[in-house]
Amino acid sequence: MNKEYFKQLDETLYKETLSNGLDVYILPKKGFSKTFVTFTTKYGSIDREFIPLGKDEPVVVPDGIAHFLEHKMFEKEEGDVFQKFSEKGASANAFTSFTRTAYLFSSTDHVLDNTKTLLDFVQQPYFTEQTVEKEKGIIGQEITMYDDQPDWRLYFGTIENMYKEHPVKIDIAGTIDTISHITAEHLYECYNTFYHPSNMVLFVVGAVNPEEMMDFLKADQAAKTFEEPEEIKRFYPEEQKAVDLKERTLQMDVQKPKVLFGIKASNTDISGDEMLNYELAMQIAIELVFGRSSAFYQEIYENGWIDESYSADFSMEQGYGFTMIGSDTVNPTELNDKIKETIKSYASNWNVEDEDLQRIVRKKIGFFLRALNSIEYIANQFTRYSFNDMNLFDVVPALEKLTMDQVKSAFLSLADEDAHTVFTILPFEKNND
Amino acid sequence: MFQQFELASGVKLFVRPTEQFKTINISFKWKQSLTVEKAAVRAVLANILQFNNEVYPTNVAFRKRLDDLYGAVLYFDTTKKGSHHIFSLNAETVNDAYLSNEKIVDEVFSLLHTVIFKPNLVNGKFDESVVKREKEQVIERIQSMYDDKTRYAQQRLLENIRPNSPASITSNGTVETVKAITNDQLIDMHHDLLTKDDLSIYIVGDVNVQEIKEKMQSHFSFADRTDNIEKAVDTPDERNNKEFLHEIQDMKQGKLHIAYQTPITFFSEEFPVMQLTNGILGGFSHSKIFMNVREKESMAYYASSSYSSLYGLIFVLAGIDSNLQEKAVALIDEQLKAMQAGEISDLELNQTKSMLTNQLKEALDSARAQIEIYDQYKELSASFTVEDWVEKWMNVTKEDIQQMALTIEKEFVYFLSGKEGATNE
Repeated sequence: MNKEYFKQLDETLYKETLSNGLDVYILPKKGFSKTFVTFTTKYGSIDREFIPLGKDEPVVVPDGIAHFLEHKMFEKEEGDVFQKFSEKGASANAFTSFTRTAYLFSSTDHVLDNTKTLLDFVQQPYFTEQTVEKEKGIIGQEITMYDDQPDWRLYFGTIENMYKEHPVKIDIAGTIDTISHITAEHLYECYNTFYHPSNMVLFVVGAVNPEEMMDFLKADQAAKTFEEPEEIKRFYPEEQKAVDLKERTLQMDVQKPKVLFGIKASNTDISGDEMLNYELAMQIAIELVFGRSSAFYQEIYENGWIDESYSADFSMEQGYGFTMIGSDTVNPTELNDKIKETIKSYASNWNVEDEDLQRIVRKKIGFFLRALNSIEYIANQFTRYSFNDMNLFDVVPALEKLTMDQVKSAFLSLADEDAHTVFTILPFEKNND
Repeated sequence: MFQQFELASGVKLFVRPTEQFKTINISFKWKQSLTVEKAAVRAVLANILQFNNEVYPTNVAFRKRLDDLYGAVLYFDTTKKGSHHIFSLNAETVNDAYLSNEKIVDEVFSLLHTVIFKPNLVNGKFDESVVKREKEQVIERIQSMYDDKTRYAQQRLLENIRPNSPASITSNGTVETVKAITNDQLIDMHHDLLTKDDLSIYIVGDVNVQEIKEKMQSHFSFADRTDNIEKAVDTPDERNNKEFLHEIQDMKQGKLHIAYQTPITFFSEEFPVMQLTNGILGGFSHSKIFMNVREKESMAYYASSSYSSLYGLIFVLAGIDSNLQEKAVALIDEQLKAMQAGEISDLELNQTKSMLTNQLKEALDSARAQIEIYDQYKELSASFTVEDWVEKWMNVTKEDIQQMALTIEKEFVYFLSGKEGATNE
């Protein structure tokens, strides 16, 4: 077991790759009552075209299947796995994103028993046509719930505008139509391909004895048999640099318009340190120009063009990424024009002092140290970083080394107008009855 | 959980020293009785104090100061608890130990003093343009509830079952009451914070108790309070005699919200038993409502119950197909009836005890949750500990649960759905 101490953060991380390929990380946190364990596969909604394990030809599976599979993992021949967790006082959950599916629990007692339940239920699939059919009603209601959430529609509408081919544009849960085609056979095919231990990470954080936990995990995995690991062949379509649609509007039953200005990232085929530095530089650049202490923010706030829903963020994974700036607003046009004008102005004249950069870097370091109080944040983010060959605990040193040139060049990538798009949600025009 | 000191009459300091966190959390909670007019004034005042102050007269100067202090978190908030309105100031700062050669904590305390005691006044008034805009911001916050259909449906349910009562008054007031606010009312309310409101101050983090106590005494001089605040529990004096309301919006899912009343409140002897009862009914993913409405009938993605103990209310929420309202209500009714008939398994009872225990213990891993839990439970006992509370659940029997279930009475069904939804007229 490899042990690494991060002095500045006062954290010790234990790591080992087991013989079946599973990466295990353990981070004990002093003073904590609970233990949080996540078991994550590098498999999300964008993985719709791949060569199934043991086959030669690529297949395209129905949209929403990674999320559907996540739901179905919880049902076993002997019943619902939640029941088992409840008996041992563990709150269990799972989520599916564009690139990951995570299964997790937290508990203050019976941690090894609960870890066993987690490993067993994720590593022993049980799908029948009957249980698959039953789930379609539940997920149908989940999809309908999201359909009624204007902020979700706004977010996804903006991504759909940006991407012409890349499956990030497809809703993680699919649609009621696409999930109607899912069969137990599909689920086994996806499961067998993507749930091999060598494609997964187990992260344990909180009240834990690292040696005891590692021995327990090794014994458990050694007692199970797995196929030899194979490299997974995934296919993603070529994506153009420009956005697919410049502008789209949707009417919903809302009280005030909502607008999101999206900028498609140009440089996303990266990983490791390159990705870490680019991502941090981009986040710092956005915060400098569009954050709450910026001249831009002060002006639009005082003009009454935004409210408390305002946000400006950058996020990316390998293969896609976007900046999004928006708010609920009665002045969507003015707000969009101001965003465009601000990008142009900073791109032609990078009017940022060193002390501004230092201030935002300090803010970001403070945010990161606060986040390390949350064991959920650590487990989820650490896993995301490791799937992209980055280390979460490198964030502070990387921030301290960040240069003005890196931040400026990140910002300049926002200037290409072909990469800009706008999605607006408007209220229905009201009748006077 | 916390060490307690009285800084002035009605002003208490609660400190919990711990090395668990890399930050120090601070929370000021000013309480007074809840009315819709006062809630509106307090919500707007929170926004104004968040905008600027005498030392940092522009918002950008204030924001930059917070960024400089390693992104110190500092925000005002308004909430309610039973019949109390709570005006709070929350702060979180990185512990100096994690920064080389910095003294951030003292700076944050000094900033807290500024935002409380030194508002940006011109001739004894707040800047009119700031007042006008922040009133508008609060109005927009109130109106935005319409876009969140679950919150909207819950608010409509509350307005129907407990009109003009703390249960349905929101901590932001209403559009009309916010519009009516004057500059003088805001000044008076600020004066209430400094001299009248019951005040609790919480500090959690790696701090020296004696030092922090002295720091609070030297930095903050709060006046003695003369009035005692009444208990937070709310017993309604106005009831609606309707039992069902179906409203229509342009939407896809049906939002089913059912209200039940019970005489058992937070201050009742049986409160811990009612927590378990609600847990078995619908608090968890092993509960009767989740197992039957979601897992057995596949009718919903979410289906759960919650116990609002200060109002003696239990709510059941489910997102369902808009044509299945009657079927869902019947199925949910059956679950309560089963409990009233004593159909409670050992497994359900043990699972619920384990889950509630875990939930409470887990909360200790967040400084903010420690503050919130203690702020609530200290009303029952100043020596509250999680272990003592868990003990109260352990001896509860199925018969006790059945007795609790018998006190629960269905009061109102509210259904929000799209046009093609159920008709129940």
